[in-house]
Amino acid sequence: MVQYGGDEVSALVVDIGSSTLRAGYAGDDSPKAIIPTSYGFVPLSRDSDVSMAEAGTEPETASPKEESKLYIGQHGPSVWREDMQIGNPMNEGLITDFKPIPSLIRHALKDVLHCKPEDHPILVTEPAWNTSLNRERMAEIMFEEFQVPAFYIANTGVLNAFAAGKGSALVIDIGHSTSSVTPVVDGFVLRKGLVHSALPQLVHAHAKHTLITASHNHPPIQLFSHQLIANKTPVEPGTPPRFTLRDDRFSKTTPSLASYYENREVEEWVQSVAGVLDQGWNDQAASQRPARHYEFPTGFNTYFGPERFQVGELFFAHSRDLVASNPHLPRTVPALISQALAACDPDMRQVLMGNVVLAGGGSLFAGLGERLNNELVRNFPHVKIHAPGNPTERRYGGWLGGSILASLGTFHQLWISKEEWQEHGKPIVAQRCK
Amino acid sequence: MAGASAADPSTPAPTQTKKNIPLARKPSGISRELYSLIGPSAPTLVAQVAKPRLKQKPNLGSGGSTKWTWRSFKNPARTDRLELGHWVKADTDPDAEYSFAKYNVKLVDYTYSQDEYIKFLEDPEWTKEETDYLFSLIREYDSRFYIITDRYEFAGGPPRSMEDLKDRYYSICRKLIRNRPWAGDEASKSQLVSSFQFDKEREVMRKKYLLSLENRTPKDLAEEEALYIELKRLEQNEKRFKQDRERLLRTLLGVDSGLPDLPIDEDGPLGDPKKKKKGVPGELDSPATPSSSLFTSAVPKRAQSAKSAAHDALHCIQRTDGTTPAGSMLRSFRLAYPKAAIAAKVSQMAAELGISLSRLVMPTRDTLAQHDALLEAITALVETKKVADRVDQEIRTARMRLGMRESETPAETPMDVDEDRQAPDTPGEGRAQSVVSTRSGRISSVDTSGTSTTRVGTKRQKLS
Repeated sequence: MVQYGGDEVSALVVDIGSSTLRAGYAGDDSPKAIIPTSYGFVPLSRDSDVSMAEAGTEPETASPKEESKLYIGQHGPSVWREDMQIGNPMNEGLITDFKPIPSLIRHALKDVLHCKPEDHPILVTEPAWNTSLNRERMAEIMFEEFQVPAFYIANTGVLNAFAAGKGSALVIDIGHSTSSVTPVVDGFVLRKGLVHSALPQLVHAHAKHTLITASHNHPPIQLFSHQLIANKTPVEPGTPPRFTLRDDRFSKTTPSLASYYENREVEEWVQSVAGVLDQGWNDQAASQRPARHYEFPTGFNTYFGPERFQVGELFFAHSRDLVASNPHLPRTVPALISQALAACDPDMRQVLMGNVVLAGGGSLFAGLGERLNNELVRNFPHVKIHAPGNPTERRYGGWLGGSILASLGTFHQLWISKEEWQEHGKPIVAQRCK
Repeated sequence: MAGASAADPSTPAPTQTKKNIPLARKPSGISRELYSLIGPSAPTLVAQVAKPRLKQKPNLGSGGSTKWTWRSFKNPARTDRLELGHWVKADTDPDAEYSFAKYNVKLVDYTYSQDEYIKFLEDPEWTKEETDYLFSLIREYDSRFYIITDRYEFAGGPPRSMEDLKDRYYSICRKLIRNRPWAGDEASKSQLVSSFQFDKEREVMRKKYLLSLENRTPKDLAEEEALYIELKRLEQNEKRFKQDRERLLRTLLGVDSGLPDLPIDEDGPLGDPKKKKKGVPGELDSPATPSSSLFTSAVPKRAQSAKSAAHDALHCIQRTDGTTPAGSMLRSFRLAYPKAAIAAKVSQMAAELGISLSRLVMPTRDTLAQHDALLEAITALVETKKVADRVDQEIRTARMRLGMRESETPAETPMDVDEDRQAPDTPGEGRAQSVVSTRSGRISSVDTSGTSTTRVGTKRQKLS
């Protein structure tokens, strides 16, 4: 054990992403608890009608009142409940709403892992562009609410590099809401070279648009999730679906829950159908690839041809019409990479391009790795991309890196202990976690 | 047989009486006759099933299971009293220092006092506060300048590049080492000082070059590549020209005219380097190649009367001029072989010409000379072919490049450019040919049959 530099002190690693919250023991190869970051909540008292109406108009910023009940975990937002709204504390990879965070972490640690947080040092991850206010708040939650003996907050970019076994790397992390390019040197983020954009959201929106607008091979598709459908009968591909909605539920579904379910359906479709052409966009190549069959919960099913590649193409190039219609489009992955590299020292660029790490669930798009390689090889002769073939490793790279880091013998001097927290207060976080 | 069975220690019951006991205990699956023939040594199924012979179990871990205990430990690198727990073997020393503490090494960092700063380290571009800030960052990030540059934010200070920071830090270190009392010897001091050497101008220049290298467009890259190929081609042409000239001169004037920088291989077996300098007039028009020198070496240089020559020929007497190694030897040892680099081509060529190189059964002096000449001719042919191929290739690439240029600047390149471009090549070809023709002329004078020469000639014409 010693020869690997490992010394496990039964630390816990908590990695909060936009889509899921991952928690598990340091030293494991995959997180034991994976729960959705989105949560459901039902305002308890009648007098919260006002807030409900507000929440209805702005589902993204919906936030539960103190006393309302939260539905978290596997049986949280995915289970239909009357008047349940859906909230998500994350925005662009950052925690913007700290109220549900303790509940989410408590659920992961106590209800899923069944462990007492006060017995375990906890390593939490943060995106590289996290604010100091945010990380201090996180430290406060850990020390004050969970009474952890020790705490550390580490950067997902660095952790992804560690998960790939590299100290210096250019980490391309395509997540659920944000894609980022982080240059990491000797385990430190080069902040000037750090760039991120809300590209996955654009891809998601495009996919949704593709589905709900009529095209030559399908009418507008209704994205009802299975929770809202009473029954359906099989139909031929391309023909209108025959299904009945659960009227008892349908009328009582809040807009935020409806949009959450809709987004889930879009995501399902993207994950099973969408892909990236590995040699750049080419109408002929796109039409030559086999079409894929997909059936929606309504029973509607059809074959998706070139449009499934248009979705992934957005990661690499925006069409001219799109650019013309919206000048503030999130930057594409190649643009992010070149921008990140331009901010780095010329000496460092060679090193970084030789150690490109591809991470994040969004990078699991079929063909994305090959496409990225082809794009990069065109401009950099010595590029080498490390993309774990194991999807678990790819999706939870940040967690895995944290698991590695928190089980290293040499790391244990870096923990912020409770004693230090009480003595120095918030500044210790910035001082210790560089 | 019964005795034998009793003597066998593997018999199950050695204490039983000797007589015919095995017969009585015959196993059921075997006939009596067979059993009486082979006796109890017959392997029976029953015995095999009853007692399987297993490999011995490997003995992993000598003394049972190890006991592990959960023990809390203190990390000496920490200033607080945090105690973390981990599993350790129960027999390890609980008071031992944490095993990972030894990896916590601090770099030697340089600090200066106020006095030292005022005395040595003043710099118009830097304030003391900013210098202090720089040093604190260097301590914090263990001299990782990439990160220090990234994190460097001094309020009110000018923007600093990595070279600025490095220059400041290293110059301060140098000054401190120079001006502080030094305990060791001068050599180690100057070595330490030189380890902090930093040439800012050069670094800036280097980075500029690096950037300009990176900023090349694909067009620049293609042009660079083309220029490089052009350069290589010119170099090759030059070399070939030199070689051809050399060969020509040697053919015309003999060994003495050879340029000194060319390897002289004709001395090989005869091994007399002085010969070259002596300048024997008789050798002036004899071609200086291994075979021919072998051939000519046998020709006595002393004035020989026609009569004695006739006498020698009649009696098969050969006179040597003493340059051959003493002692007896087989002539077949002198059999020349083509150079390894072109051996395959030579043999292929020989096959094409219908000549068998292994036919030389009796290597007499004359046949040997003929054989050498033949090899020589084939080698020359191979080389000519090579030259022709290369010229062909060059013409093709020149045409291609011309085509590229034409496509870039349409209608501006008249046809005579093509001739211009080929012009440098044609003399080379001519030269190569002329050399070959002089050679083949010589060969034909040597070759008595003459058939091979004509064949070579036709082949050459085909090639050119």
